[in-house]
Amino acid sequence: MKFKDKISNLLDKDFHIAEKRKIIFIIPIAILVVAAVMMIIFRFTLGTALNLGTDFTGGYSVDIVLGNQLTDSNYQTYYSKIEDVFRSVEADNGKTYNVRISGALQRQGSGDESSIHVKYSAVNGVSENEMSKVVNPAIISALENKILNKVPTKIEFDGNVITVSYDEVINNFGKGSAFDELKTAFEELIEDYDGVSVTSIEPDGKKIVITCASEIDSATVKKLTSEIRSKMNLRDIYSGEVKGGDLVGATVSTELLFNAILAVSLALVFMLCYIGLRFQLSSGLACIIALFHDILIMFAFMAICHIEINSTFIAALITILGYSINNSIIVFDRVRENMRSVYSKKMSPEGIANKSVKETLMRSINTTITTLIMILMVAIIGVSDIKIFAFPIIIGLLSGTFSSICIAPSMWALFQRVGKKNKENFNIQPKEKKSNKKSAKPSEIGA
Amino acid sequence: MDEKNSLTDIEQEVELTPAKKAPVVAPAHKAIKKKSTITKLVLIGVAMVIGMIFAFVPMRFGLTLYHPFLSKEAISLGLDLQGGVYAVYQATNTDTDNFDSKMEGTRSALQTLLANKGYTEATIVREGTDRIRVEVPDVNDPSGILEIIGEPTSIKFVLDSTGETVITGDNVVDATAYYDPSNGYVVRLQLDSAGRKKFGEATSNNIGSTMSIYLGSSTTPISSPTINSAITDGNAIITGFSSREEAEERANQIMSGTFDVALELRESQTISPTLGEDAMLYGLIAGIVGFVLVIAFLCAVYRLLGVAASLALIIYLIIYLFFLAVLPWVQLTLPGIAGILLSIGMAVDANIIIFERIKDEYRGGKSIMAAYHAGFKKALFAILDSNVTTVIACVLLILLGTGSVSGFAITLLVGVLISLFTALVVSRLLVKYFINLNSYNAKLYNLKRSKQYENLDADATDAVVMAMMQREQDEKDQMKEEKLQNKERNKAARRSKKNEGGETA
Repeated sequence: MKFKDKISNLLDKDFHIAEKRKIIFIIPIAILVVAAVMMIIFRFTLGTALNLGTDFTGGYSVDIVLGNQLTDSNYQTYYSKIEDVFRSVEADNGKTYNVRISGALQRQGSGDESSIHVKYSAVNGVSENEMSKVVNPAIISALENKILNKVPTKIEFDGNVITVSYDEVINNFGKGSAFDELKTAFEELIEDYDGVSVTSIEPDGKKIVITCASEIDSATVKKLTSEIRSKMNLRDIYSGEVKGGDLVGATVSTELLFNAILAVSLALVFMLCYIGLRFQLSSGLACIIALFHDILIMFAFMAICHIEINSTFIAALITILGYSINNSIIVFDRVRENMRSVYSKKMSPEGIANKSVKETLMRSINTTITTLIMILMVAIIGVSDIKIFAFPIIIGLLSGTFSSICIAPSMWALFQRVGKKNKENFNIQPKEKKSNKKSAKPSEIGA
Repeated sequence: MDEKNSLTDIEQEVELTPAKKAPVVAPAHKAIKKKSTITKLVLIGVAMVIGMIFAFVPMRFGLTLYHPFLSKEAISLGLDLQGGVYAVYQATNTDTDNFDSKMEGTRSALQTLLANKGYTEATIVREGTDRIRVEVPDVNDPSGILEIIGEPTSIKFVLDSTGETVITGDNVVDATAYYDPSNGYVVRLQLDSAGRKKFGEATSNNIGSTMSIYLGSSTTPISSPTINSAITDGNAIITGFSSREEAEERANQIMSGTFDVALELRESQTISPTLGEDAMLYGLIAGIVGFVLVIAFLCAVYRLLGVAASLALIIYLIIYLFFLAVLPWVQLTLPGIAGILLSIGMAVDANIIIFERIKDEYRGGKSIMAAYHAGFKKALFAILDSNVTTVIACVLLILLGTGSVSGFAITLLVGVLISLFTALVVSRLLVKYFINLNSYNAKLYNLKRSKQYENLDADATDAVVMAMMQREQDEKDQMKEEKLQNKERNKAARRSKKNEGGETA
């Protein structure tokens, strides 16, 4: 209730937004300056000013062939394991790279030919040569070791019993099974240890229990542990394979981008014509300035937060284009109406702008709330890629509301003033002049 | 123009207001009105429930299964939401000049080929140096991609008498399959100017002899027609196909064989959605939760008006889903969903604009019914103008944009047109019925008087309204008069100027 009262109090007061354009314009300018500074900082620390995704820059791809092992129930486990692998890739040169996966992992094929397709972008500050010679082989071998071959998760020694644990149940069906392979591997490696004689090797769910004739001494334990870890890998019985590490081109070609820009520019020109016909040319120009403001703010926030810009960002930009123009038009509809009113003669362009903003304020707030509700739900509930898509839209929505209240009307008022000086053919101009010249007239009306 | 409109506007209101006198308790004729309103609302409710059943509930009629509008079967989903198939093509002749630019040319040729076949949302990407990866949505069978792109094949027309190759796939601009009554299923090749010239010369010089058509590296011709007359119009026709499928497949193969780089299919498989497999489900949940919250917000802020708007929105959604399911060129992708969100936003916005206007009018002393009429009239132009600009943008984006841009524009265009209809027709009716339910209780609609009219009854405003209208009309008359005066004054000023000018000259 209190909040409501506050709003209605606010509505009872007079607005002076259009006059305060200098103060209001500081907000977007400050955001743009921050963005510029952040871009410079990112340029030198991370290597790129804007975080362009593989859709624009291209990247690399790798296919992890898992055959029949990949099922509807276990693919997510594989996904998270693969994501873990990419998070820290240890290369032969001792460095650890954090490789960024681009987009979602994709399942390909079915049955024997199932595989997981991963697209990833080049590591910042790493040359193409280093990528292909150092990082990509490291990624492939890491995937082979951790996804296809499973290293024991735990190796325990308890007197004369060795327990080797894995993260999945060991298949034990006759010759050639996973257990059979592990057993052979152990028997081979234990041949080098003269003092140890094995009495039994038994599978136990996810574990293999090895019983020896006598207790194993601590020196042997250490040596054995490392050897078991390296040689007793649970092999992928479906002949898994990691293919690729290939360069992938950009999905969004320059041609496509050029097309989009051309289409949008032409759309803007036609919208400007329509607004010029139905309203005033100055209203149309103010709408477009507000629109460019919104687009710049969206870019600014993408730069400040260093969020990956993908092809979906183009869609977000066009969405806000529609929203922003729509918002400004509602305000200019009031401006048009207020200018027709008899009182408009007594008012400055700023006065008309303020009045119109005030009258449409409740609508602006409520529409922004409802649209925000929809997009916020998408941002909260959706999967990660959709969240990335929703973020610029949320920024654009807020910016669109701000620009339709603060920027478009005050720009319009400014144009009216400029028009007055230049004797341009703005619609308002003759009325304006009259009201200024014949300052005696209003009293006549009043009387 | 506008002035005329607002004048008729006022006349209508004046006509309307006397019908409603100012009782605090509902009179008998109002009770009757209320009854008929309730029947109308019930009818609308029944229609809505039927609509919702068709939109959301799968049904079985005998042996045929009915898919609701909102189902994977009815709405075609893009690569990012449902997946599709991919194919990797390998270039066979890598050692030609400008290989890189030729690959790029082939890439965009593939894009155009797919777009022409309606797969505007397909993605085509270069992999490594000599491979192209094509991802096509809405196809579930890996071999389906072959039907679209085909296994690229070269084609040549050879004169049997001399063994000379007349034209090759490089001369082909377009290959289409169709049924010709006299020849059965045929493939027509449209040739470029060089091809047309060569083909024209060869056919006019060799009338009576045969010309063989070879596909790929095969040494047996697929047909060896006899040249009956000179063909100079640049249309070569291949006959002898047994079915439409065969002819279409050949046409596709020939088209993809015309690329700058010879391609060979390496692998082709199904692919899961690029946005992750749960994107669709969570997106749907988000949409439903968001929609419910928006309805709750509208009902909280505008009370009964909000309820009317919510019903209108549900009707809007049903119609929208119907069109998404029915229109063949709508393919839903993430940008498309953004288009839907934006148009739902605009549909809600239209209602909010109208309600705020009604609130304004009521605040200014009109009765609820009069405020409703004036509110709709005044909101009309704001809604029309904002929607028309959006329509203009959509049409241009559809005509000029490619891929996801045009996909977005299509869903937005459909949404905006439906939202115009629901806001101006459905909402209008529903709001009227809801006001009829209780047109003397402003609290039900969250309408408040300004201080000036605080003591006015919700229904008892005729005198005030009439007075206000009189005042408004006076203002307008005054303005008109002033305009006339100004005109005359200007004329006079100009005349005097002219005279002065004449004198000095």
